[in-house]
Amino acid sequence: MRVLGGWIALTPELPAKLLFGRHVWDCAQHADLWGRRLPELRALGQQSEPAGPAVVRLLDLIETAEAAGRTVERITAIYRVLKPHLATVYERHLAVANPVYEPPTRRILARAIVEERRHAAAGAIVLERLIAADRTLADRADTWERRVLDALAAARGVTGDVETPLVTPPGTPPDPVEVAGDLVPAPPPFDPAAALGELAAPLDAHRRALERGDTEALRTTLAPEAGPDVASAYAGLPGPFARTEVVGCARIGRQRVVKLWLDNPRGRVVLQERWLPSAAGWRIVAVEVTRAEPGP
Amino acid sequence: MERPIAYDKLAREDRFVRMRTRDVGTLKIEQGLPPFPDLATRESMRDRVHGILVGELQAMEGAGRTVYDFPEAPWEFTVDMARQVWDESRHVETYLGLLDHLGGRVGEFPETTLLWRCACAEDAAARVAGVNRGLEGLACDVFNQLIHIAKKIDDPVLERSVDYVLADEITHVRMGSRWLNELTRGDPERRRRAIEFQDSIDDRFNLGGQRRDGHHDDVPISIAKDARRLAGFTEEEIQRLVKSTQRSQVY
Repeated sequence: MRVLGGWIALTPELPAKLLFGRHVWDCAQHADLWGRRLPELRALGQQSEPAGPAVVRLLDLIETAEAAGRTVERITAIYRVLKPHLATVYERHLAVANPVYEPPTRRILARAIVEERRHAAAGAIVLERLIAADRTLADRADTWERRVLDALAAARGVTGDVETPLVTPPGTPPDPVEVAGDLVPAPPPFDPAAALGELAAPLDAHRRALERGDTEALRTTLAPEAGPDVASAYAGLPGPFARTEVVGCARIGRQRVVKLWLDNPRGRVVLQERWLPSAAGWRIVAVEVTRAEPGP
Repeated sequence: MERPIAYDKLAREDRFVRMRTRDVGTLKIEQGLPPFPDLATRESMRDRVHGILVGELQAMEGAGRTVYDFPEAPWEFTVDMARQVWDESRHVETYLGLLDHLGGRVGEFPETTLLWRCACAEDAAARVAGVNRGLEGLACDVFNQLIHIAKKIDDPVLERSVDYVLADEITHVRMGSRWLNELTRGDPERRRRAIEFQDSIDDRFNLGGQRRDGHHDDVPISIAKDARRLAGFTEEEIQRLVKSTQRSQVY
């Protein structure tokens, strides 16, 4: 619950962000139900501690996936390993929980099993969509899954005494309709042609100038009111660029703010330009390098 | 994981264009537009709904961080914040649908991050005062106006959707009222700082001076007094807010 909550802000992809957002409350309710059950079993309510230092190391490892671009590792750890493991542990507990003495525990287990399996299935769908867009992510997911599973094995599961296998598939797959309820339909991908409209043609010429590193051509697209810092910003770009792409376009009245990726082997520069229409055509009045990432 | 995180770590798909609130307002004013969308045109309505969409995203992210950032806080507080995360995720879904309903697209307007910055306050009491009571209280005013306009233009989809979200927002403000009191019990200085933070938000983020005391037909955005009473605001607090709207800055 806490880790998913913390990751929401750090995760750029909307489907993953909203997946985490959907599940934090379910996880909180599971924890709350267990916490309320504890005093009924002569333990302190709403208090918990890890089963051992290896469990702490496992969770520390999972939390290391906080750097930008590690969404695949986040989903893998929680949805391929931790949640299926919890469901596995709960199912074994339910199988031996006495139906006469332990219905309160059995009810919590039954609910948590259904929800953890459903979460895992929803996470698998989001992960598969991310991987489908970039197959190199599949290797990263597999590698991270092995690493987290190793840490889980070293801890002997979350309770420190779980017999192998630590993760078993569900006896009955979750209802696809229920799983779909955990997924927010992703908005359509950004369509530059539709977003740019009449700015598309001038921007196309501008992109080609950026790719060539043609500062003279770039200069002709600047509005008269653009300050010297704008020309300097273009002169300072580490061009030429092998590839440019329009990835965003926002409107402020008649003006447009266009976001561009500029890629070359040295890395990626993300540029945000403000364009305004004039009698001479669309012109750039402001520019800002919002991000620079080193190449692979 | 870092605890808390710097506000510039907020992660977005690149289709979003992020800008400063003040810059967006200035550029609109320079073009003869109101700094806060006035709902007079279809584009203005899309702009407003897009602004609410990113606000809901940031509210979800902020509540998520509160779940993570304060492990020593009372458990019930954490549970309330987790509930808010879920609510906000459903609001995002609602506003994605409404944006589509109005013919808009995600990223069509710039994203400003004022809500997120408030959600990065280091004290949990300041967060609930600033975000739950200050900004979500403001959301009650904005949603109330949106419902009123939806009725006027006979858009039941917009009207009902926003009405459901408003019910949740009242609950979130109520949570803020509860936890402001409980987290600062026995610590008047902490309470004073948290309320000061909330007041600064009420003073600064006054929707371009459009939020006023009065009926929907008489003022651009009416202070939602009934919703605020339901959410635990006292009459004194409501009157203080009314006064603050009479002397607010532009943004």
